[in-house]
Amino acid sequence: MTAALTGDPATVPAAAPPTALRRALPLLAAPVAFFVAFFAVPMVVVLSSSLMAGGAPSLANYARVLLDQYHWDVLAVTFRIAALTTLAVTLLGYPLAYYLVRVVSSNALRRSCVILLLLPLFTSNIVRSFGWMILLGRNGLVNDTLVGIGLLDRPVRFLGTETGIVIGLVYILLPFIVLAVGNALATVDPTLEEASADLGSSPFTTFWTVTFPLCLPGLIAGVIMVFTLAASAYVTPALLSGGKITVFPMLIFQQYSTVFDVHYGGALSITLLVVTLVLVALAGRIGNGGGNRS
Amino acid sequence: MTSLRAATCCAALMAGAAFAPIAATQPAAAQSAAASTSLTVAWYGGNWGEAFRSCVAEPFTKATGIKVVPEIGTSTVTLAKLQQQKGAPTIDVAWMDGGISELAQAAGVTGAIDPQAVPNLAKVSPEAVYKADGAVFAVGTGYYSLGLTYNTQKVKTPPASWNDLWNPEFAGAVTIPSPANSSGVPFILFLNKIWGNPANDLSKTFAKLKTLDTALYFDSSGAASNAYQSGEAIVGAHFSVGAWDLADKGLPIGFVVPKEGVWATDARLHLVKGTPRAAEAARFIDTALTPQAATCLAEKLYLGPSVQGVSVAPDIERKLPWGVGGSVKNLQLFNWADINRDRGAITDAWNRELARQ
Repeated sequence: MTAALTGDPATVPAAAPPTALRRALPLLAAPVAFFVAFFAVPMVVVLSSSLMAGGAPSLANYARVLLDQYHWDVLAVTFRIAALTTLAVTLLGYPLAYYLVRVVSSNALRRSCVILLLLPLFTSNIVRSFGWMILLGRNGLVNDTLVGIGLLDRPVRFLGTETGIVIGLVYILLPFIVLAVGNALATVDPTLEEASADLGSSPFTTFWTVTFPLCLPGLIAGVIMVFTLAASAYVTPALLSGGKITVFPMLIFQQYSTVFDVHYGGALSITLLVVTLVLVALAGRIGNGGGNRS
Repeated sequence: MTSLRAATCCAALMAGAAFAPIAATQPAAAQSAAASTSLTVAWYGGNWGEAFRSCVAEPFTKATGIKVVPEIGTSTVTLAKLQQQKGAPTIDVAWMDGGISELAQAAGVTGAIDPQAVPNLAKVSPEAVYKADGAVFAVGTGYYSLGLTYNTQKVKTPPASWNDLWNPEFAGAVTIPSPANSSGVPFILFLNKIWGNPANDLSKTFAKLKTLDTALYFDSSGAASNAYQSGEAIVGAHFSVGAWDLADKGLPIGFVVPKEGVWATDARLHLVKGTPRAAEAARFIDTALTPQAATCLAEKLYLGPSVQGVSVAPDIERKLPWGVGGSVKNLQLFNWADINRDRGAITDAWNRELARQ
């Protein structure tokens, strides 16, 4: 957990002198080239193909996407799943991050907990989603246990439901919020909390008025990461939906991989991107507002 | 263990499908400098790739000394790579399934297979030699079908008709392919045909499918295998290759050709247009069309041989895509041009009718 993500203003000079800039340019060249080749160029290709229909420039693909209630229904499902995932991940991840940073006193124990948390990231999403298919199935471990201990009379259907998709996404995205919040928590100056306690605040009040607001930028960063990853997730929803629920990335994948309509697929991609960006911008605004109030 | 391995295997396949267009062209590019000492051949992952390697690539290398470098990917991924490499291909020979094969031909990435350079082409049954504008652009190396698959422990009476899937005792435990799978769109057209619905109107077929109580619609063959293995699905559609693979691993899985027949397609070989190693590529295709290779593929994948006069052991024969006593004549091979034309509309109708709650 480093301070790298906190954006310490001292390390970023407001106006770099020209010589420093000249020295920085070659350093910048590599990331810029990478960004252009692997992000900007593909994005332009997708955008330009989405603006072509029948060999001529046209907005027909966007009309097809935006004027059809079906696509808005799918967007609603997609963002509902993403929002529920983000909520669940936050409720689970925040206490976990707090526990790891503040409660665990042994460095070795904390390190092993972080390794345990990160370990699943080394496995492909596909393998992990297949794992959930086995766990959540009609004869899976979860249903067997719930029926076995008498909580259920007969197996519940998880696969092919939004609940199943949310469970899979929460598991995959949990580390992101724990790292973001933990990083923020670790950089909170403990003397501020001590001062709050000295002034007579209860631990609860200190948390809500000092610790929580100071961690808010980290939390917002984590929430945005999780939300965008959940809204754009393909593999987990595709596997855990059993094809019975459609999220927007599945529509995009279908067009590119089996229908081969890159124009309509491109319009779907850009639509998802724009709607997600708008939602993230709104969230960022709320986050800034929260930060200012504190 | 088996389930984990199968899951990993199809997972690797799917990961390949998602990311290969960017990542997988690189190793091939590195190989192109090696000129005619090696040949790059695109094929599928899992037990398919294994079979192609031992049945075709190894005998080829043994006979010619030319190393075969596999380029693993699903048919669609291979097509995407070929389109990117158009003009300067690094893949010399490519296996792609029926349907994608026609798209590859239309995209202009397939070269002509010269019957002079591939003498074994003469032994291939005429249905498996695909021509466009008078030239051979693809040759089938074996058929596989999408038949009825069931759990032999949980299903007392083996299903005999596609309509048996609507049997109330199977409610909630049925699986059929989604349009994201290569068999999804043709399967809908197949059902439409066997139910005698008009060819240009799928509404009755969709209405009937809507009443099917499924556990899942499978996107990949791996997802289908997984569902049968875990008991999530106890009856439904599956590829002959995947179903027999499960049965061979000792799982209680049966595969039957129902009375209405089965939809089938084939894995085809293509000579990539503009390859600098056309002579070696033709030699490779010729090796794949030997009776030995066809027998080997039938033994390993239960692919129905496209090479005429190939006979296999009775235990293998009953597992071929056309079932006991059948032949290529019993398969319903659709015109892929029609399927590809309606692909977008059928996928769209499926999304609206079935893939939502």
